[in-house]
Amino acid sequence: MSAEAKYAFTVLVSVGALSYLLRALPFALFGRRGEPPPVVRYVGRVLAPAAIAMLVVYCYAGEAASGRMPFAPYIAGAVTVLLQIWRRNPLVSILAGTLLYMFLVR
Amino acid sequence: MEDGGIVRRAFRDSIPVLMGYVAMGFASGVLLAVEGGISCAPAWAAATSATFVSGPLQYIFVDWVRTSQALGSVLLVTLCVNFRYSLYGLSLIDRLKGASLWQKAYIIGTITDETYALQTACRLEGRSGVAYCLFLAMFDHLYWIGGVTAGAIAGVLAQGAFSTERVAAVTKGIDFAMTALFLVILTDQVRERANRLPAAIGFVAALIAFFAFGRANMLVPAVAGIVATFFACRRWMDVR
Repeated sequence: MSAEAKYAFTVLVSVGALSYLLRALPFALFGRRGEPPPVVRYVGRVLAPAAIAMLVVYCYAGEAASGRMPFAPYIAGAVTVLLQIWRRNPLVSILAGTLLYMFLVR
Repeated sequence: MEDGGIVRRAFRDSIPVLMGYVAMGFASGVLLAVEGGISCAPAWAAATSATFVSGPLQYIFVDWVRTSQALGSVLLVTLCVNFRYSLYGLSLIDRLKGASLWQKAYIIGTITDETYALQTACRLEGRSGVAYCLFLAMFDHLYWIGGVTAGAIAGVLAQGAFSTERVAAVTKGIDFAMTALFLVILTDQVRERANRLPAAIGFVAALIAFFAFGRANMLVPAVAGIVATFFACRRWMDVR
């Protein structure tokens, strides 16, 4: 197996297992009592938006390193967000933003 | 309701998910084939989509295999992105009371935002409710696997029909789909007031971590900063 395949396999197994564990955990832990402790509810509620915001920064950090046209990701990103605010259609927003970006870095 | 009726009803309810999952899955599959730099992309696409069952993870998987991101950050990101699913399962406990162990195991393992929303919205009780949840989970899961795998196959076929370089030239910039996906999810999240402060905390923590540690090493310190801030600022949050 190549190094990439080995790495991908490790990620496949560990992320797959953790994903399953996360989904199944409440049944194992709180199945009888039916209610998770408030602190788990709190973290579960606030973690998702923070994680997605973090990943947006992570994506833009990659753009900065790619050496492409520096404003392209910001222009395409702004169009994506404005379209999503306006039309609320994720497919349209993502498609339009990505095509615009591909056009800009051509 | 007899079984055929339940299958039809589950299918009808899943049609909006069909379009979304196939389109988003297809794009992530193409991305994996043309940007992932890994052989047998369709097989990886099928295996990862079947087990991750997550849009964000499917897109970021491409970045991981390309940059060989450290396994610690990979698992931490998985934990943060999918932690909410562990709360979703709880409200399904009552609904799945009559289900067999395998049915439960499958329905729980394939929870997504969309599937969960439809499962909780359905008012069917008892055995019918379990059957509905099972078929819905199966339809949505298959749409996702099908979309991602078809995208990867299309990417590989295009590379074969033209050349890897030609395809790379045409698809240059397609990796922005990942950024766009996260921007769209974030936009929808911050419509809700309670999500705004958490999103701002994630944004600032990630920026600080990026400038302090660089892109390759930013995720672990960013998550540490986010969680620490959550506990320090709990009293000012809209949800506590």
